[in-house]
Amino acid sequence: MPTAEQLSQLPPPADHPVNFTKEIKPILEARCVNCHGHGRAKGDFRIDSRETFLKGGGTGAAIVEAKSAESYLIELVMGFDPDNVMPKKGTKLTHEQIGLLRAWIDQGAKWDAGISFARAEPLNLKPRRPALPASRAKDANAIDRLLAPYFAANKTKPAKPVDDRVFARRVYLDVVGLVPPPDALEKFLADKSRDKRVRLVRQLLADNENYALHWMSFWNDMLRNDYKGTGYIDGGRKQITQWLYSSLETNKPYDRFVAELVSPAPASEGFAKGIVWRGVVNASQMPHMQAAQNISQVFMGVNLKCASCHDSFINDWTLADAYGLAGVYADGPLEMVLCDKPTGKTAAPKFIYHQLGELETSTNKAVRLEHLAQLITKREDGRLPRTLVNRLWQKFFGRGLVEPVDDMEKPAWNADVLDWLAEDFADHGYDVKHLIETMLASHAYQMPAVPATEQTATAFVFRGPQVRRLSAEQFRDAVGALSGRWYEKPAGQIIRADGTTNHFTATRAALVPADTLQIALGRPNREQVVTVRSPTATTLQALELTNGSELAALLARGAETAVASRTGVANQSLVVGVYQKALGRKPTAKELQTARTLVGQPAQKAGVEDLLWALTMLPEFQLIY
Amino acid sequence: MSSHSNWSRRGFLKTASAATLSALAAGFPRIASANEIEKIKATADTVIVLWMGGGMAHTETFDPKRYTAFEKGMAPDAFLSTFPSIPTAVDGIRFSEGLEKMAAVMDRGTLIRSYTAGDLGFILHSRHQYHWHTGYAPPQTVAAPHLGAVMSRTLGPLNPAVPAFINIGQRFDNGEAEELKAFTTAGFLGSEYGPFNIPFPDQAADTVRPPGDMTPGRFEDRNKFYKKLLAASPVGEHGSDYQKESLLRSLDNAHRLLSSPAAKAFDLALEPLESIRKYVPGYQPGQKFDAKRDRMGAKYEDEMVGRFGLGCLLARRLAEVGARYIEVTTEYIPFLNWDTHENGHSRLVAMKKQIDAPIAQLVLDLEARGLLNRTLIVLASEFSRDAMIEGKPDKLIKNQVEVPDKVEDPKHYGMHRHFTDAGCVLLYGGGVKKGHLHGLTADERPCKTIKDRVVIEDLHASIYRAVGISPKLAYEIEKRPFYTTRDGEGKPVMELFA
Repeated sequence: MPTAEQLSQLPPPADHPVNFTKEIKPILEARCVNCHGHGRAKGDFRIDSRETFLKGGGTGAAIVEAKSAESYLIELVMGFDPDNVMPKKGTKLTHEQIGLLRAWIDQGAKWDAGISFARAEPLNLKPRRPALPASRAKDANAIDRLLAPYFAANKTKPAKPVDDRVFARRVYLDVVGLVPPPDALEKFLADKSRDKRVRLVRQLLADNENYALHWMSFWNDMLRNDYKGTGYIDGGRKQITQWLYSSLETNKPYDRFVAELVSPAPASEGFAKGIVWRGVVNASQMPHMQAAQNISQVFMGVNLKCASCHDSFINDWTLADAYGLAGVYADGPLEMVLCDKPTGKTAAPKFIYHQLGELETSTNKAVRLEHLAQLITKREDGRLPRTLVNRLWQKFFGRGLVEPVDDMEKPAWNADVLDWLAEDFADHGYDVKHLIETMLASHAYQMPAVPATEQTATAFVFRGPQVRRLSAEQFRDAVGALSGRWYEKPAGQIIRADGTTNHFTATRAALVPADTLQIALGRPNREQVVTVRSPTATTLQALELTNGSELAALLARGAETAVASRTGVANQSLVVGVYQKALGRKPTAKELQTARTLVGQPAQKAGVEDLLWALTMLPEFQLIY
Repeated sequence: MSSHSNWSRRGFLKTASAATLSALAAGFPRIASANEIEKIKATADTVIVLWMGGGMAHTETFDPKRYTAFEKGMAPDAFLSTFPSIPTAVDGIRFSEGLEKMAAVMDRGTLIRSYTAGDLGFILHSRHQYHWHTGYAPPQTVAAPHLGAVMSRTLGPLNPAVPAFINIGQRFDNGEAEELKAFTTAGFLGSEYGPFNIPFPDQAADTVRPPGDMTPGRFEDRNKFYKKLLAASPVGEHGSDYQKESLLRSLDNAHRLLSSPAAKAFDLALEPLESIRKYVPGYQPGQKFDAKRDRMGAKYEDEMVGRFGLGCLLARRLAEVGARYIEVTTEYIPFLNWDTHENGHSRLVAMKKQIDAPIAQLVLDLEARGLLNRTLIVLASEFSRDAMIEGKPDKLIKNQVEVPDKVEDPKHYGMHRHFTDAGCVLLYGGGVKKGHLHGLTADERPCKTIKDRVVIEDLHASIYRAVGISPKLAYEIEKRPFYTTRDGEGKPVMELFA
């Protein structure tokens, strides 16, 4: 209890009727909620509502009704006990603020209806199925029907679709990661049927081998899987390559795919096991915490990294949330560690979203994991499908419906598209290929590419897919197709669905560890989860392309083959062939003339080599437009 | 073709700064909370780190203790140093035998004897090297950038025709290569700021030469042809776009680097033979340093004498044309070079031969060229070694090397365990004191730090201070600040500065 002398120091209560919303709420918001609101309860004190506020915390009631001088809250903000001053961080409250709090308490601590400091209902969690706007065209794509009001509201008229050639190059690269082979491209161009575009998408999706080899890289980045990397040296890491390849080749339903990673069998346990370096590892990077961080990031679009060390400053997640999920993966009770200091408290295993149901608190880890997998993949979890929809949208359109893609508690620029696609995806048994087909068949996807703008732009308006760069693997595979030189052999043993081993049409980039060329072009070392690769070219990359030995050797051998296979043929046919392979088109008259001069007649190896190099350096080759 | 065809006519600096701008526009990490950062006046423009990979024993190099010669049957703890000590140019500072040339230039530098490595548990060299080079212990939730990348990002290139971060002498194909790659990177700062790797200093010229056997003339023609195709390419019609621009600009930068006069600095063949021999005594033109990495042999280090020397010579040439951050390593390969799990004494004879002449010459050459004042040289290693103690005396960790009861075989004579409670760092130039000693270690085992301990955060803060970077500087990644020194807590050791 404060002494009489201390009481005499109390500022007088404000002498007017206090307005909670205008005068008290700002104080609570600025100085209290960081520790006692938004799901946080330091000292077991929550100010979510008037009830929890009055109830107080571990040391008793916060206030004595109508008696501010006797209220514990006032004692704390006055700092009578120097070891126990509130707020704990920052400056003390001003006398004016304390006077307002006193008056508010004395006047009955009125709390305006509808005001809550509780953790907000998370965005993009509950499934929602928007109605499809009517459309005059009977077969209109759902995305386009949903976007029609958007375009109208933004007073933009969607541009006409790109031509067949550009479309074909786009979908080849987006579905199977390869540039279209010239003969297939010509056949597509010659096709006069109305539905040929969607049929091309389906045909590519049905190429299970190349589909899998393209999407391997996307998932390897996210699941931190590679043939080489940190951790393997001590057995502190395990590959999931075979499992991943098979899952993609057979188009495993996404809910099962996720369940097998969350509650894994030996073949898929590498992801949840994480990367273990030899030696003592910081508590926030223990394998079970890595699992918590990576599962929430990859599948739910939630960043738990900050919260693995302390209550997050950038979102509402708390240390207890992170440890709750980590605890599911721990072998025994898990003590919480706050910024490297043990707290003595044990976190009960739980999932980050209680809205999806309580987790069974079994002492058996296998049971807990199985239940966790059920929670994450249940139909009521609208976040799981939305997160993947958004990632794919980002891949195909250059920018997510929600940005950044790892922060799914942010609103989408078009919630109807996100929500509808997520529901449709789940309705179709979490069929990823169905989802891809819906996106690529849309008019929205077929609009001309627009310049990529800064990712963080807030005033974003959708005007079409953004220009993208080929990934390292796409670039290497495109050079493979152009030069006829792929990698020698796969780094591991991959059994295909037909029972054969390593039986691939070509040894593509995803089948081998990163070499200097792939590293330079941005294939990450997969030490951390990577969900988006850098969109810009760098000088070091350009140096590797300009004088690196790997690309030079590929082009030299490609040129050799080209020259050898066309002896006695006019250099014109060679140049045209190279253009078709590289750019999917014939050279213009001017290009042909320039190229023929370079190549020489008869074609010289050095000239062809330089032609191949120049073509692969063109934005037309390196960008997806 | 409006915008990019005239880039070649633009000034160098202009292009480089435009590249930086485009990198910023692309969402590269920005500086967080810039207003709280104190302005620091730089005392150096260039940093050269000389990396003694594998754990350099302090008592065998720059902090000699009581010498005991080998005797068959001696007790394993009978020796603190396996070499006698020698005087240096500075009274009161003695080195270990075999470092005579460096001893002669000690009056140009500052010696820290109290560097203390982190407590990372069971030793993995590459993990301590990661800690030394980034200031953070792995694993980390975001990819931590290397010291050189932070300088490259923060300060930019000193000469735009020279990559800002050059890494000399390390191959990435050995047992811990993946772990080395994990920190030899710009991490989240983005690969624009990453290392320009030159694993073989004698082949440095190839890294900035047209590929294969391409003549300079053909190289120029190829580029002209490319420009013509570019001008004719229909995609050019898509208008300005930062990706296209960054692509073209990066190619222009690369081409410019390859054809710039600064590229000559990479070519050691242009250095007079007498001058090379000051770095590599007895060097023969065309000499290769490609010993087989057979860990059982004790001769590897002997056969590689000269490789590090060429790296130092290359570093001097690059510093002369305006490199920002250069690292030269004796190369970390598990169980080789400084990583002596056996034959510690005999192998260190060779290791000292590897480093003594070139480091002393590097200091003298930079001084003679008037560059030492603005170039900070830092010699360091991930930790030290001892014959008996693994880890720290009060925090022993799992031994990796068995010590016999009696030393019968000379191969057991040396520092074979990993000691983290002391270590030497040498600094020259760039504003540090001359002929100065910082820190003290015990004269009897454990020869641990007893005064003025320096930890990695403070060492980094000191290096950063020399080039004008605050230890509290932070880059924003995933909305959190990531500091140049852990939590912004590094404090420069002011006693080091003149």
